[in-house]
Amino acid sequence: MTDKEVVIDCRNVVKTYGSFTALNDVSTSIHRGEVVCVVGPSGSGKSTLLRTCNGLETIQGGTIEVLGQHMPGTRKELETIRRRAGMVFQSFNLFDHMSIRENLVLAPITTLGLDRSTADQRAQDSLDRVGIGNQIDKYPNQLSGGQQQRVAIARALMMQPEVMLFDEPTSALDPEMVGEVLDVMRDLAAQGMTMAVVTHEMGFAREVGDRILFMADGQILVDQPPDTFFTIPTDERLTTFLSKVL
Amino acid sequence: MNFDFNVLTIHYPAVLDGLLVTLRICLFSLLFGVIDAVFLCLGKLSGRGAGYRVSVFVVDFFRTIPEVVLIFWIYSCLPLLFGARLSAEISGILALSLLVAANVAEIMRAGVQSTNPGQLEAAMSLGIPAHTIWLRIVIPPALQRMSPAFVNFLTELIKATSLLSTIGVAEMVYQANVLGNRTFAYVEFLTLVAAIYFALIFPLSLFVRRAEARLVAQKCR
Ligand SMILES: Nc1ncnc2c1ncn2[C@@H]1O[C@H](COP(=O)(O)OP(=O)(O)OP(=O)(O)O)[C@@H](O)[C@H]1O
Ligand SMILES: [Mg+2]
Repeated sequence: MTDKEVVIDCRNVVKTYGSFTALNDVSTSIHRGEVVCVVGPSGSGKSTLLRTCNGLETIQGGTIEVLGQHMPGTRKELETIRRRAGMVFQSFNLFDHMSIRENLVLAPITTLGLDRSTADQRAQDSLDRVGIGNQIDKYPNQLSGGQQQRVAIARALMMQPEVMLFDEPTSALDPEMVGEVLDVMRDLAAQGMTMAVVTHEMGFAREVGDRILFMADGQILVDQPPDTFFTIPTDERLTTFLSKVL
Repeated sequence: MNFDFNVLTIHYPAVLDGLLVTLRICLFSLLFGVIDAVFLCLGKLSGRGAGYRVSVFVVDFFRTIPEVVLIFWIYSCLPLLFGARLSAEISGILALSLLVAANVAEIMRAGVQSTNPGQLEAAMSLGIPAHTIWLRIVIPPALQRMSPAFVNFLTELIKATSLLSTIGVAEMVYQANVLGNRTFAYVEFLTLVAAIYFALIFPLSLFVRRAEARLVAQKCR
């Protein structure tokens, strides 16, 4: 893996909220094609780490490079990077006042300059890819949670991103819908998408992750491939964490 | 006492003239007021700095003082300050514009601030530029959410125009009083005016009720 191009590179990242340190000297990198899962207790800084990589949070120390671009850069540079790095949120965040089709084509038409018919075609393809091609003319509130999250993934795919960031994409879902979203993500991983996935789904992390990061108190305490992550405990807090979640 | 329809059939054109003035005042105070409201709203949304403080002061000030005081104040004090007398109707439009500006600014602010922050982040994470986010993500749902409050305020504005009769603007209530003085048919003219106000305002109230119900239904779905 390490000979592949670095897609995301965090060096000594520090993020503070007032006197509280949410990320404390975090360094890690993600290479092209890699799937990195991030686990850890609530409040350990998982979301914060992901959000800093998309410029949704500013950092107080260290550096972040995404696709070779120093973050956050100028406004234009940041917008360009965000078009190349998709993000999926726990709460879907679909645009409620727009149909699924409008949700999907808005960004490609207004930022990539796609014409309407190309964008429509791409919207149909993206929805087919996440298994809900027949829902294109519905509105978000007419879909189940699992379907909405798959639309959110399709919306990110519309930009043909080179890397995708997932922040607990299944945590807001009813249990019976978790599987359908994980299936989509599994497909993406199999197609070679570079992914950073914050998740509580240990089964998914073990099966799909190339590496698993364990975070606690704003630090990455463990960074291991799945086979050693679960079987050879290298950290006392990880052992405690795993005993709770497994 | 008999209700004298005859006096109405003779003098109703004067009442309609008054209605025209009422509508004209509403229209112009809305026009000027809403333009000001946009700036006040942006000022309040900016959150700090001089623009913010001025906007907060202006909005609070004109929302708290009673309309009548504002109307009299503009009509009688502005000439003292600037030396020139404004016509009653212009003074009225000025006073009501300030009323519109302050209230609509607050309605707009509430509409914009009820934007789902998650949707903003989603839009940003797609690399959509700020002006497109405003036009496509923030404003359309904000307009929808603020339409009940806006139309509700519109009914208040229509009622407030009647206060301008006190400074001699020839709107409906003023006309009714003048005709009443002339013919002693006060009841007839005031009843007619009340009916016209009802016809103007009741449909708006119905709209507000429906729009609110629709918003609630949307939230629950
Ligand atoms: N805007 C903010 N202001 C102040 N503190 C914040 C803010 N956002 C996050 N934090 C704090 O930073 C810490 C890390 O938050 P973060 O959301 O990254 O945790 P997390 O690991 O994603 O947790 P969870 O599993 O609950 O999502 C938490 O203690 C949180 O309270
Ligand atoms: Mg989180």
